Amino acid sequence: MDWMLIAELAVNGVFVGLMYALVSLGMVLIYKTSGIANLAQGAIAMTGGYVAWVLLAGLGAPVWLAIPGALVGMFAFGMLIERVALRRMIGQPVIMTIMLTLGIEIMLRGLLPGVFGASVKRLDIGIPQAPLFVADLLINRATLIGGGISLVLIVASLIFFNSRFGVVMRAVADDQTASWSVGIRVERAIAVAWGLGAVAATAAGILWGSTQGVDWSLSLLLIKALAIAILGGLDSIGGVLIAGVIVGVAESLATGVVDPLVGGGTRDIVAAVIILATLLFKPHGLFGREHIERV
Amino acid sequence: MSIDRRSFIAGTAAVAAQFGFASRVYAEDKIVRFTIAQDFTRIYTFVTSEYNQGQRDYFALVNERGGVGGYKIVADVTDHANDLPRAIEAYERGKREGAVLIDPLSTPVARALVPRALEDKINMITAYSGRSDAADGTAFPYVLPLSINYWTQAGLIIENFKKTEKGSLKGKKIVFVHIDTPFGKEPLSILQVLAQKEGFELLTFPYTPPGNDQSAIWPQVRRARPDFVIFWGAGVGQTVALTEAIRNGLPMDRVSSSVWLSESDMDVVGRDAAKGVMKVEPCVGGREPKVIKDILAEVVAKGKGAGPEAKVGTAYYNYGVQMGALMVEGVRLAAAKAPNGPVTGPWLNDGLRSITNFTAEGLLPPTTVTREDHQGGGMGRIARWDGAKFVPVTDWFAANQDVVWSEIKKNSETFKTTGK
Repeated sequence: MDWMLIAELAVNGVFVGLMYALVSLGMVLIYKTSGIANLAQGAIAMTGGYVAWVLLAGLGAPVWLAIPGALVGMFAFGMLIERVALRRMIGQPVIMTIMLTLGIEIMLRGLLPGVFGASVKRLDIGIPQAPLFVADLLINRATLIGGGISLVLIVASLIFFNSRFGVVMRAVADDQTASWSVGIRVERAIAVAWGLGAVAATAAGILWGSTQGVDWSLSLLLIKALAIAILGGLDSIGGVLIAGVIVGVAESLATGVVDPLVGGGTRDIVAAVIILATLLFKPHGLFGREHIERV
Repeated sequence: MSIDRRSFIAGTAAVAAQFGFASRVYAEDKIVRFTIAQDFTRIYTFVTSEYNQGQRDYFALVNERGGVGGYKIVADVTDHANDLPRAIEAYERGKREGAVLIDPLSTPVARALVPRALEDKINMITAYSGRSDAADGTAFPYVLPLSINYWTQAGLIIENFKKTEKGSLKGKKIVFVHIDTPFGKEPLSILQVLAQKEGFELLTFPYTPPGNDQSAIWPQVRRARPDFVIFWGAGVGQTVALTEAIRNGLPMDRVSSSVWLSESDMDVVGRDAAKGVMKVEPCVGGREPKVIKDILAEVVAKGKGAGPEAKVGTAYYNYGVQMGALMVEGVRLAAAKAPNGPVTGPWLNDGLRSITNFTAEGLLPPTTVTREDHQGGGMGRIARWDGAKFVPVTDWFAANQDVVWSEIKKNSETFKTTGK
């Protein structure tokens, strides 16, 4: 056993996991406020990547303008999805709303490569590719920076949910009818949650896009995001952080340790196993709140 | 790749309306009909639009010059989206309309169509895709790769490594990083045989398709301290592999891939960062070959190009011209043998299997297709990315064809006996 390799995989797995967690963060923000699991989160991340690419490569905007521009644009896009599609589903069974988000995922996954071409696009946000060695450990600069930014954004979300507006959103999550009765604008709170969810997805889309290029495969982040959200607890921002690290490290080690034993292909199984095991043995995840209904 | 789905649809509409390259094909013309059903929208999107643009521009050039052997080329372009029912529908439609050739540019589609093509005697071109054992013309008379298969490409790469090491790979370590699909695993059998024969150690690292995250693979590759690395995938898998190789500090002049590496990939990875990486080149890239200059002057300059001018001369564009030129050469030879046809699959097959030392005026290596060898001789060359273009580092050569043909025969014999 090469312990240095294990250490290197684990360290890089932490950063990769944090980058996955950023996609999950958007899911959790939306679930916390509206109780809806957004299955379009992967495609929204992909859309954010395409928008940043259009601004950077297509319109020639500098990075300092293109990234905030993409984030602002996607905040509006998230709110638009809520206003145009989700709000119409009020009163419908939750499963129909979740199916709607799946429909949005499929539509975006087909639409954007159709409009912009299906080839991989370069998204250069200035992260150097030169290897960075710490002793004998290679730290991947792209994931190091991406993981760091993800960490900051997740912590910022934790702080936000303790702010005045965050408390409003939590109140909406707890009881929408009671929130209405005390004058809280529930629709606006949910729309903002969708906007913030899209911002988190876009940040992830840009970071992953700078790592792998922008194409339809960014939408595959949905599976990792889902595994992390389920493991951490669908309504726990802190859970996203911990679960992201667990999933990232587990995937990385599976590739390095299990793949050579079984001939490869275990990386994607990790997410599936985590989803299944969590739902079977701890349905609310590690940090999710259990909802007790009194009858 | 800047031909997107909109451009494709617009282009296809133009062809369908007979206002594109076929604009000068009139009812009284003698025609040879090709079905160009390819995947423009799903898996092979990384190559199809440029490849198809090259083919259509070449057919336009031929038709502008009055056709070949008294015949004009009509190519019906359609999108099968790598979907078998759609591909079969396109094939059957082509057959009904008198097509004598189909070019699906997709391994699963080509594999699915093999029994039909053999039974209907319709020539199926499987360039850089399909079954590698289709090189055996005695087993697959109507399946024609007309290009170097993946086994040959692996053989060329190893031979170039050997040349780099002054003739011996004994004791060297070669890492093979590949997408974990049948396509990715295809060169393994040849590499294993060559590892034994040449005395090098072969380490393999599969990655999960589509290959958008290989961050845990490449540290293992680096730590294995390989003498050479081969990476084998397509689309996003290729750009991510190359990016991770760079991030892990692997020397680019010891890293090589198959024909599936293009200028577009270099744009994604970073043109300077990828300097030194090698690929197999099945035909000349760039705009220097005479036939590419002719297309620019006689087709593109007249506004009759099938896509953006910027793509003329890219690697995948030239692959398309290469295959278009081979198809047309088949028509020329068929017409020379039987000028009045009738234009049928066997008629064209006779021409395609008579191609001898054809280079398309310097675009491709001397290619000879026989009733036994549908690969065309197995010649290619190795090219290196210099930051702006791929520059050849070898002349055209064939290598390890004894090993390759042993594998071809082994598999084609299985097909002959079991149909699989």
